[in-house]
Amino acid sequence: MIKFSKLLDDLLLNSSKKKKIKILKDYFNSLETNEKELALSILSKNFSTKLIKANDIKIMIKRKISEDLFSYSYDYVGDLAETFSLLWPKSKEKKTISFFCFMKSIEKYNNKESLINFLEKTFDNISSNEIYAIIKILTGGLRVGVSEGILKECLVEQGVRNKFEIEEYWHAFSPFFKNFFCWLNGEALPNDINEKELFHSFMLSDTFDENLITKLNIKDYVCEFKWDGIRAQIVVSNFGKIYSRNGEDITNSFPELNITSNKVSVIDGELVVKKNGKILSFNDLQKRIGRKKVNSRILDEYPVHFLAYDILFMHDSDCRNLNLSSRKKKLESLLKILNVSNISFSPLINFNSWNDLKNLRNKSLNNHIEGIMLKKKNSLYVKGRPKGCWYKWKRNPFFIDFIIMYAQRGHGKRSSFYSDFTFGCWTDNSFKNLVPVGKAYSGFTNEELKDLDRWVRSNTLERFGPVRSVKSSLVVEIAFDNINFSTRHKSGVALRFPRFSRIRWDKPPNEVCVLNDIKKLIN
Amino acid sequence: MNNNWLIKKKEGLYCIPGDFYIDPIYPVNSALITHSHTDHARPGNKKILGTSDTINIMELRYGNNYCQYSQKIECGKLLKIRGVNIKFIPAGHILGSSQIYLEYKGEIVVVSGDYKRRKDITCDSFEVSKCHTFITEATFGLPIFSHPNDIHETSKLIKSISENSDYCHLIGVYALGKCQRFITLLRKLGFDDVIYLHGALMKISNYYIDRKIDLGELRNISELKTSDYSNKLVLCPPSSLSDRWSQRFRKVIKGFVSGWMGIKQRIKQKNIQLPIVISDHADWNEILTTIEEISPEKVLVTHGREEGLLSYLKQKKVTCNALNLIGFEDEDD
Repeated sequence: MIKFSKLLDDLLLNSSKKKKIKILKDYFNSLETNEKELALSILSKNFSTKLIKANDIKIMIKRKISEDLFSYSYDYVGDLAETFSLLWPKSKEKKTISFFCFMKSIEKYNNKESLINFLEKTFDNISSNEIYAIIKILTGGLRVGVSEGILKECLVEQGVRNKFEIEEYWHAFSPFFKNFFCWLNGEALPNDINEKELFHSFMLSDTFDENLITKLNIKDYVCEFKWDGIRAQIVVSNFGKIYSRNGEDITNSFPELNITSNKVSVIDGELVVKKNGKILSFNDLQKRIGRKKVNSRILDEYPVHFLAYDILFMHDSDCRNLNLSSRKKKLESLLKILNVSNISFSPLINFNSWNDLKNLRNKSLNNHIEGIMLKKKNSLYVKGRPKGCWYKWKRNPFFIDFIIMYAQRGHGKRSSFYSDFTFGCWTDNSFKNLVPVGKAYSGFTNEELKDLDRWVRSNTLERFGPVRSVKSSLVVEIAFDNINFSTRHKSGVALRFPRFSRIRWDKPPNEVCVLNDIKKLIN
Repeated sequence: MNNNWLIKKKEGLYCIPGDFYIDPIYPVNSALITHSHTDHARPGNKKILGTSDTINIMELRYGNNYCQYSQKIECGKLLKIRGVNIKFIPAGHILGSSQIYLEYKGEIVVVSGDYKRRKDITCDSFEVSKCHTFITEATFGLPIFSHPNDIHETSKLIKSISENSDYCHLIGVYALGKCQRFITLLRKLGFDDVIYLHGALMKISNYYIDRKIDLGELRNISELKTSDYSNKLVLCPPSSLSDRWSQRFRKVIKGFVSGWMGIKQRIKQKNIQLPIVISDHADWNEILTTIEEISPEKVLVTHGREEGLLSYLKQKKVTCNALNLIGFEDEDD
């Protein structure tokens, strides 16, 4: 367990992604294959023992120390595994337990009492760092900043498989990753895996550049709306699965889109919230993202809808080598067969000229549309970002002048610089009171950041920990993609992706608009 | 307190018959100072009494206005103020630090100030002194705190320096006491290279050198060019680890020498790569041992995590109470 507890320490001490990947690589390289599978299962948060809960851990430690001392200590440390490991009586003997032996031993226990008994004996002989690691493993949730993405990246160079393959086959091996490392090193897939049911890497788009207008033949392309939702893949199969853009299994968050069938079909599209026939804003969708369970209230209030625009498999047959036009036909016929009300075909938009497209793009001021997509009719479904096939052409952002109200110190490279800004506008024409509208922390150069930092330091009114309130005198032009009503914000509006566009050092603050003018922008 | 001659006032702990305060947080007429950390020794008092190192360091830090009159007292020497017998006893915390022994009409109270029990060659060791009432600090007054061996902790830095020779090691240390003790530990382990100091650490370190404490070769970091930072050891105040000053160090490993570094959640908050757990305060077991060795009739707990210590002492049937003095900060916070 020494190696694993050192891994947890190293991950805690290094916050940069690059270093985390290096630490994980070194760790995996130091393990035997059977240990690697276990470690991966734990690190990807797939391992759990249902026998022991946090409360059992608390009961164990309270047999060693008074309730009061435990709760004062737990209050101070704020982490159960750490509090436990620091409070458990120190062992005199310096024994250690191997990671593999430990994991195999706990598999043997099928009742709580005998497992707790085994744990107590183990803890009496090992270091507090090892105890910490064991409790972390048993209670799940390592909280060391290792995402599935980081793990996948670290595995890319461990064998012969590339990023796409690892993303696609990940769910074939999880949660226990049996034989995963053999496959990673080039062995064939185990027989019991049906490739079609797995996640398939998405085809992605390039950003459209207006110079392309003279280069592309407009007749080669179709146009669709670019919906402001999340990209998702629905796998219709015996189980039914929904995957996010990077292959994360999000089925539990969106159960109403899970469709089962004994023939595998895979469709690609955008997930949005749609209620009473109207697509709602991204703010509403956020209330559905990341949930492990969805209750009926949430299901009623924020029903999701899938706007399908592509198909990868239809009834067990691979469609990825068909051209886009044929795939669209297949998709339409599949949707007819499936006949579910919350999945619909994302319509194609008619156009004749580049001017039509420009108008479409700028007029798509709807709060759930980000712009338009151009897709080449004869393109195949190719994973990754193949050149010249799909283009996203986002509508122009909005630009509005706001006043800086608060500044907060940044993180990482920007720690110690005031780099996160809360901006606001006047509540009314008296130009007396400001209301915060949003936060922005990008869009300025390093030089501008230094100027902003200097300005914040010399115009501070009050300090609240890492936050400073500043004089209402600096005007900045903020760019943002969309605006919506929101009950979560004091101002009653929420901006989508606000960022700095220009710093208006010279502009007087009373020329900035009032809240009502901003609300008028919403449709 | 069964003694009603030592009471708590808003300025701090006050001795009625002697008409003086101990470590007051607001300026008063007459003050006894346990040690020269800024939360215990504040400027602006009219008269102060303390060990010569405490008073010299106060003058060094605050300049001429550190007080109007100062009186130096040798450790162990008895002094009588208006019927109260007073003695300063070494506390082992930092250079000049002392406990204050007060005796009035046969009743003895010892105020610990801040103290530790580990060996520290930069100051005199803690002395156990029998008393009726012992007033203890409780900075690390929870059983989660068990400071590891300081030599072992120091060797972590030496190992990191030899393994990462292209990096600069920037280590946060408390300017008074921790900085100099940590340097002596490094020297003891045979680290002979120049140690670079942030300007804020120079003055006090030079005072320690004047007091014949060998710190080896020290230089101000301002003597170094940015391009020469690699493979250097730089000590700075803890607050400088995350302020703009530290941005000049590009390839850097940041460390922090503190008793709090035994807690992983704290390390995470501070964004530290090299935690070094060395403290100038007693840990949980050392506080308990100290109370046991003194075995006073009554224990009063001043600052830190007093709830935990009080709960434990009550369980052990020791008469105890919280004193709830305000104004004292956690080490290095």
